[in-house]
Amino acid sequence: MTTLIDTASHHAGHTDQLITPDWAEIVRITPEADGVTTFWFKFTSPEVQARYRFAPGQFNMLYLPGCGEAAISMSSDPDAPDRLVGHTTRLVGNVTKGIGKLQVGDTVGMRGPFGTCWPMAELEGKDLVIACGGIGLPPLRPAIYHILRSREKYGKVTLLYGARTPKDLLYQNEYETWKQADIDVQVTVDRGDEAWDGRVGVVPMWFYHFRVDPQKTAILTCGPEIMIRFVIYEALARRIPAGRIYVSMERNMKCGQGACGHCQMGPYFVCKDGPVFPFSALEKFFNVEEF
Amino acid sequence: MTDQQPSIGSTVALAKPELDGLLADLRRGGFRTVGPRARDEGIVYAEIESLADLPRGIQTAQKPASYRMTQTGQNRCFDFIPGSQSWKQFLFPPRTELFTARKESGKWKLDENIEEQPRYAFIGVRACELAAIEIQDRVFMRPDFTDPVYRARRAGLFILAVNCTHPNDTCFCTSMGTGPAHKAGYDLCLTELDEVFLVQVGSELGRSLLAKRTFDLPSAFVQKNAADALESAARSITRTLDTDGLPELLMDSLESGRWAEIGKRCLSCANCTLVCPTCFCWDATDLPDLTGKTARRERVWDSCFNLQYSYMAGGNTRPTIRSRYRQWLTHKLSTWKDQFGVPGCVGCGRCITWCPASIDLTEEIPALRAEVKK
Amino acid sequence: MSPQDEIFAELQKIPWFRGLQPKHLNQMAEIASLHRARAGEVFFREGDKEDNVYVVLEGRVALDIFVPHRGKVRFYTAEPWEVFGWSSVTPTVHQRTAGAVAVIDSFVVGFDAEKLRQLCEADHDFGYLVMRRLANIVASRLMVTRLQLLDMFANPPEMKND
Ligand SMILES: Cc1cc2nc3c(=O)[nH]c(=O)nc-3n(C[C@H](O)[C@H](O)[C@H](O)COP(=O)(O)OP(=O)(O)OC[C@H]3O[C@@H](n4cnc5c(N)ncnc54)[C@H](O)[C@@H]3O)c2cc1C
Ligand code: SF4
Ligand code: SF4
Repeated sequence: MTTLIDTASHHAGHTDQLITPDWAEIVRITPEADGVTTFWFKFTSPEVQARYRFAPGQFNMLYLPGCGEAAISMSSDPDAPDRLVGHTTRLVGNVTKGIGKLQVGDTVGMRGPFGTCWPMAELEGKDLVIACGGIGLPPLRPAIYHILRSREKYGKVTLLYGARTPKDLLYQNEYETWKQADIDVQVTVDRGDEAWDGRVGVVPMWFYHFRVDPQKTAILTCGPEIMIRFVIYEALARRIPAGRIYVSMERNMKCGQGACGHCQMGPYFVCKDGPVFPFSALEKFFNVEEF
Repeated sequence: MTDQQPSIGSTVALAKPELDGLLADLRRGGFRTVGPRARDEGIVYAEIESLADLPRGIQTAQKPASYRMTQTGQNRCFDFIPGSQSWKQFLFPPRTELFTARKESGKWKLDENIEEQPRYAFIGVRACELAAIEIQDRVFMRPDFTDPVYRARRAGLFILAVNCTHPNDTCFCTSMGTGPAHKAGYDLCLTELDEVFLVQVGSELGRSLLAKRTFDLPSAFVQKNAADALESAARSITRTLDTDGLPELLMDSLESGRWAEIGKRCLSCANCTLVCPTCFCWDATDLPDLTGKTARRERVWDSCFNLQYSYMAGGNTRPTIRSRYRQWLTHKLSTWKDQFGVPGCVGCGRCITWCPASIDLTEEIPALRAEVKK
Repeated sequence: MSPQDEIFAELQKIPWFRGLQPKHLNQMAEIASLHRARAGEVFFREGDKEDNVYVVLEGRVALDIFVPHRGKVRFYTAEPWEVFGWSSVTPTVHQRTAGAVAVIDSFVVGFDAEKLRQLCEADHDFGYLVMRRLANIVASRLMVTRLQLLDMFANPPEMKND
């Protein structure tokens, strides 16, 4: 199987560990929105903490003993001096709700980093449209931090972010910093109230209002699969090549190593061939129901 | 009786009782010898110590959703075709303890399971089964990831192979290019005749074990008998699967109405995946103790037919049986090849025999082909 | 600049109008009027008689529906160059089915809907262009409405063992 996105430099190399976690301690907890919290971790082993690196778009498997594991993307700055690993987590099920009950100082198991990353080096010189919704922003925030660190390497950068209601918008206190770095931040919600003076609508409709240069625009998208689909329809209609539309997919996963079978999508294991795919790789079966 | 030493690649004739000595030597050498045994109404793979434990004089008849054993009274130990079990249960155990997490003064600690892996000698591996082991090698021992349990067990493995002389109705190894006769990959390979085993030597370990036994050089008569038996075995296989362009055919058939038809018959019982010698999916589960202070983490076999297999917080990826059967068959015969370079089917026929609904992949593929032609 | 010149200048900024023949652009300018609105100013309320169809030039205009016990629910905002109040151009609807309010200070151009309908009737070539534009707007609104209807960011249903 050919490599779709080369993440080699971010992998520990060969692994012969069957889902054995390292332990990581919660050092900070940031409530982000109703039911969404960012947990900041440090590995308890100084050696692991010193060695651990990840690339934007990759994920860890968080393990809560007695409960199980959940795949959660890193949402923190991969180059932050403190090297804390941030996980913005929607508290929805066994594992995530369990982690939601933990406090600073508690430990969880952690394996990773897994998967492919947003191809930030390849994207240099391009105009970027980052189109995401809901809990799809956290996996893209490391990419935004990366752009902030080397803003001159990228052309126009637009962040399209949609959420259900104004109070569900994540990282609201950071938009200003991003705007100052010449990132066009376009936020929209499904339902507004009278206090909301921003946009009401959905992410894909942005394409109706702005022109993109298909020659040099790349799309990075993550969020509910249905939103991703509509972003792709709009991008393709504007002649952005499928190979320059990058999609982060979600599937049930148990191992993160392409061994347990659960995350298969056609020929791919989402955990190792993804989660970030160029859409050209998925095109053939993207619209096949229940595939 | 000859005082010649066997060499790798050579063939000798071994009187049947000599197998007992070989098994004894293996056990003395630290191997757990496992092989076929008749148990209840079928053949299982379990610990064996001697020739007497083998299913002597038993033949099997397999058809879609049917498995029958009959006594022939003949002095043959390997005349049957294997039952629902395959060797994967030993290399990739249905349940493996991975580690225990233990909470000590508020922090989690980990006790890794460092149990030594058993060393197995498989007695009576068929050609399709050996091909299946080699397929699982590709799954569990990849350049980027190795399953430590599988690797340890596989590295220590001794394979006594057996050529099939009485294939059943569900066999289609000839289509998949895996059998009925062995080509390579074994330590020793038997062809069973009435009085003797014809033994081919495939490895140094096999050679050294054989060297301790009393054997003869095979007469031309014995060799011809064996060759005839193998040829007639190959000829007796009438079930076929046309593999020409199969991966593409399946990917072009994702929207076929046939899946819904199969979905009405399939019970989603997962039998086909559990009996399949190449299926490798697994789940990991936690078994907490009552105090919540320790949790044992285990790996257990899973199946793409299980509903929670593709469960996500947002909903189920494959909620219908039709989509789960499609996943299974397209994986086996199409995307497996993208992933591991070979198809995931060796033609053993187990999924046909053990499907309670008589769903038969060698019927489904021609049906899809016919649809595409239309 | 005379008021008529100003209208003309504004219309020419709107991408869709740039493709019109001068004759048609003139006709549109004749039935147009400019409105500046402060944040919070209401263009029309649900139930009002329909008179104008609008294009946003600057600012942001929210469309809302009053839901008893929930207050005003904003379901769409029109951004610059977007049309709102479009149902007034259709032949059957005669009262506003939603309210429109300036979210921030806004500048819009309104077109007399009755006169626009007459222009379309009198010149079917022109009418086709208008209706084609309208079809596009309706299609995009439908897309947005569908995605909102799917409530795609909602949390998954609670697990049974919860
Ligand atoms: C690559 C990737 C990145 C992700 N990144 C993030 C992220 O950054 N932030 C975030 O919040 N989420 C993220 N997710 C999603 C997250 O992994 C899921 O929300 C996950 O399901 C949460 O686990 P949980 O145990 O809390 O909930 P659940 O999935 O509900 O429960 C865990 C397990 O319990 C079992 N289970 C639970 N309910 C049922 C049921 N009704 N039927 C059958 N089985 C059931 C399933 O086997 C399931 O796997 C990501 C997912 C992937 C694949
Ligand atoms: S798919 Fe069926 S015939 Fe093929 S190897 Fe598996 S069980 Fe045997
Ligand atoms: S195909 Fe047959 S064996 Fe497989 S899940 Fe369906 S009913 Fe069970």
